Amino acid sequence: MSRLALSILLLFTLVGCAGRETAPAATSSATAGFPVRVDVPGGQPLTLDRRPDHIVSLSPSSTETLFAIGAGAQVVAVDDQSDYPPAAPHTALSGLTPNVEAIAAYKPDLVVASADTSGLVAGLGKLGIKTLVLPSAQTLDDAYAQMTTLGKATGQTPAADKLVAGLKSDLAALVAATPRPATPLTYYHELSQDYYSANSRTFVGQVYGLFGLVNVADTAPSSSGYPQLSAEALVKADPKLIFLADTQCCRQDAAAVAARPGWSAISAVKTGNVVGLDDDVASRWGPRLLDFAKAVAAAVTKAAPGGH
Amino acid sequence: MATDRNRLTPVRLGVSVLVLAVVLIAAICVGAADLGWSRVAAELWAQLSGTTSPLDQREADILWQLRVPRVVLAGLVGAALASAGAAYQGVFRNPLADPYLLGAAAGAGLGATVAVVFAPDARTWIIGPIPLAAFFGALLGVGLTWLLGRSASGTGTAILLLAGVAVAAFLTAVQTFVQQLDTNSIKQVYTWMLGGLNTSGWQDVLITLPYLVPAGIVLCLCTRLLDVLALGDDEAGSLGVRPGRVRLVVLGAASLATAAAVSVSGLIGFVGIVVPHVVRLLAGASYRVVLPLSLIGGGIFLVIADEIARTVIAPAELPLGVITAFTGAPFFVLVLRRNRGKLR
Amino acid sequence: MTGLVLRGVGAGYAGAFAVRGVDGDVPAGGWLIVIGPNGAGKSTLLKAVAGLLPHDGEIRVGGGPLRDLSTRERARLIGYAPQVPQLPEGLSVTDYVLLGRTPHLGFLARESHRDLRLVTEALDRLDLGALAGRALHTLSGGERQRAVLARVLAQQPRLLLLDEPTTGLDIGHAQGLLDLVDRLRQEDGTTVLATVHDLTFAAQYADRLLLLDGGKVAASGTPSEVLNAGTVREHYAAEVDVLATRGAEIVVAPTRAGRIPPQA
Repeated sequence: MSRLALSILLLFTLVGCAGRETAPAATSSATAGFPVRVDVPGGQPLTLDRRPDHIVSLSPSSTETLFAIGAGAQVVAVDDQSDYPPAAPHTALSGLTPNVEAIAAYKPDLVVASADTSGLVAGLGKLGIKTLVLPSAQTLDDAYAQMTTLGKATGQTPAADKLVAGLKSDLAALVAATPRPATPLTYYHELSQDYYSANSRTFVGQVYGLFGLVNVADTAPSSSGYPQLSAEALVKADPKLIFLADTQCCRQDAAAVAARPGWSAISAVKTGNVVGLDDDVASRWGPRLLDFAKAVAAAVTKAAPGGH
Repeated sequence: MATDRNRLTPVRLGVSVLVLAVVLIAAICVGAADLGWSRVAAELWAQLSGTTSPLDQREADILWQLRVPRVVLAGLVGAALASAGAAYQGVFRNPLADPYLLGAAAGAGLGATVAVVFAPDARTWIIGPIPLAAFFGALLGVGLTWLLGRSASGTGTAILLLAGVAVAAFLTAVQTFVQQLDTNSIKQVYTWMLGGLNTSGWQDVLITLPYLVPAGIVLCLCTRLLDVLALGDDEAGSLGVRPGRVRLVVLGAASLATAAAVSVSGLIGFVGIVVPHVVRLLAGASYRVVLPLSLIGGGIFLVIADEIARTVIAPAELPLGVITAFTGAPFFVLVLRRNRGKLR
Repeated sequence: MTGLVLRGVGAGYAGAFAVRGVDGDVPAGGWLIVIGPNGAGKSTLLKAVAGLLPHDGEIRVGGGPLRDLSTRERARLIGYAPQVPQLPEGLSVTDYVLLGRTPHLGFLARESHRDLRLVTEALDRLDLGALAGRALHTLSGGERQRAVLARVLAQQPRLLLLDEPTTGLDIGHAQGLLDLVDRLRQEDGTTVLATVHDLTFAAQYADRLLLLDGGKVAASGTPSEVLNAGTVREHYAAEVDVLATRGAEIVVAPTRAGRIPPQA
């Protein structure tokens, strides 16, 4: 071999060794189960060669799941909207308008996102980074499936399975323990203070449906599942329960609702059944969906005739 | 008489007011909560004559707390935007002028954004922080444009227009910057800017009336001056009219009306441009006709548009700005075609 | 009566004088025509007399200084028709002419029957009676010029300022318009100050002429005093012969005889 070729070979070997030295020492149990093929809903399956240890999460729901299944140590950065759990490595990365370069600066080996916005997957692919796209869950089963997927992708399958099983049983117990009146209670779920709502075909709508609640927005034509309702129709429909998912973004609460013109006549307002939800808990499909269900259960228990 | 075409004859005025009254009553009778139009009519009659009404307390609340103030507000906002649009078109001698031309929209948007991002929990105020901030923001926008436009030669209209463009661009940039400070604000600001009357109550009517009524009166008094202004600054001056002063008064009143309307309804487009044009095509070019009829016509237009917005897919609503565009554009085309021969 | 007196009048734009040191006297009912090459400052002088530009020196209308008049008083006294009038589209002729009554109406007042009658009279005098209800933009050039004049007449001014009133008119319409102004000033006693570019028309209709060049008065006097071949050559750089019609009126005829070199 010529001296030039030899020195180039040497150079590459040194660089390669240097690269390998920065990787954390992997234990045998962590690498078990890899390489793994992860099925992506509605997309191409993702093959991961080794357990990802530098995960960047751009989806708040996925962030919560990752930490709940014990993969928190494998996460190096989460986006600006991922504010739970507080221990998550919060950064200024944006999930809505992702910047490929900024994400790549964290040297991720896996990126989890809720949408392939502006060529994110392709852009990261050019840098050899794999992206797992987990879109908004439409059903509870979707949510459970995403948790299982994340478990498989991070080598935390036992923890993920345990989480899912726990959620299912807790949810079932909660539903069983909550009174279910003969006449189903009607409810209105508010997303913003100009009366954008979610009907029963949405994810939150299905959680409400578990408790046998009837959504007043169901009579409104909507292809998206999120119609804007008319104040008149709401007052006429007279829901027994009002859930406010705009307490943080738009500073709504029971007092503000009661002050709206004509709203003091609504049953939910008269009987004090206006419930303020945490905006995030009511909109994510991670492990805290149980907290959401608990809030609903408590409201139903209070509102059911004879219950308190 | 040969000049009837450009006179605000009692007949024309009477017919317009009659149409407005009919539209208002129809809008009050039909709404998202299906109260039955005959029952609503009975309720209205009951209020006047003291007989008993078929509506129960909740239905009466829906009618008087929600529907009637919303219809009234639609009429007021439509009247304000259309008359302001006519006034702007008169001052700028330009048929494409609309009431948002001098930075009112950009200023209001900035005000609303600042209120959402920075305002304290202000539920105890009589007026919410957003309408207040939007109102002053709109006035700020127009004021800045006036100052900027004046510093160049006098109050020539071309300079004012350019100043308006510059101020609008600047304020929009500031608004975007403020929005980025708190991305959670985006949802609330965006829904406000889209424009709508979904959350109207009597409160909104009361806070806008003190501005809309005087502004409307001033505009209607200035109609002859606007006609003279159409002759150009030199000839207007020779007829004893001071162009700069007239522009200041008219733009001031029109901007006040616009700011008040925008503060309660967000940015509803199309009304300010289309209604004066339609009136012009139907009733002649003199501002003595165009301005008052635009005021009434604007009210009619927006009440109908809001009626459509809240009943077509009831109990869901369509955004009002979409309706004004969808109904305004084809009607305008129709009137243009019918009058093709009359135009050059 | 309302005569016009100019003493050392100067006016301009953006700090620079376009015309200065103008002296002139027009008795009540008289007609002074200002002539001069392009850019001599004729329009500027007219605008200064109309009160649309600030002026140096003294302008006295009807004995009193122009400066002392309020905007309204001035509008009642002086009627001004610019070189390029702006005619609002869609307005009828009657309504356009009615705008001329503005200085005589109170702020909130509507036009009275008297105002309408004056307008109709003005239209009739200008032969526009048949076009009273037509929209302005449907009129021909000559009809439009007459409409502008009708508007100015409806103002009932004592002093008429006309900037190039024959612009765009063919010889017949131009003559007709100038005849009309002459008749009107004789009937009403209105003083007229006008600029006319055609030297023959200027000579035939003016009592006195004022020749402006480069913003200064180059000559002033009766038409026969001011107009001669030498003056025209000096200020217009044009070759003319000053002739007489059969009726002993002045004609300023351009001639090529002195310009074309004889063929070698």
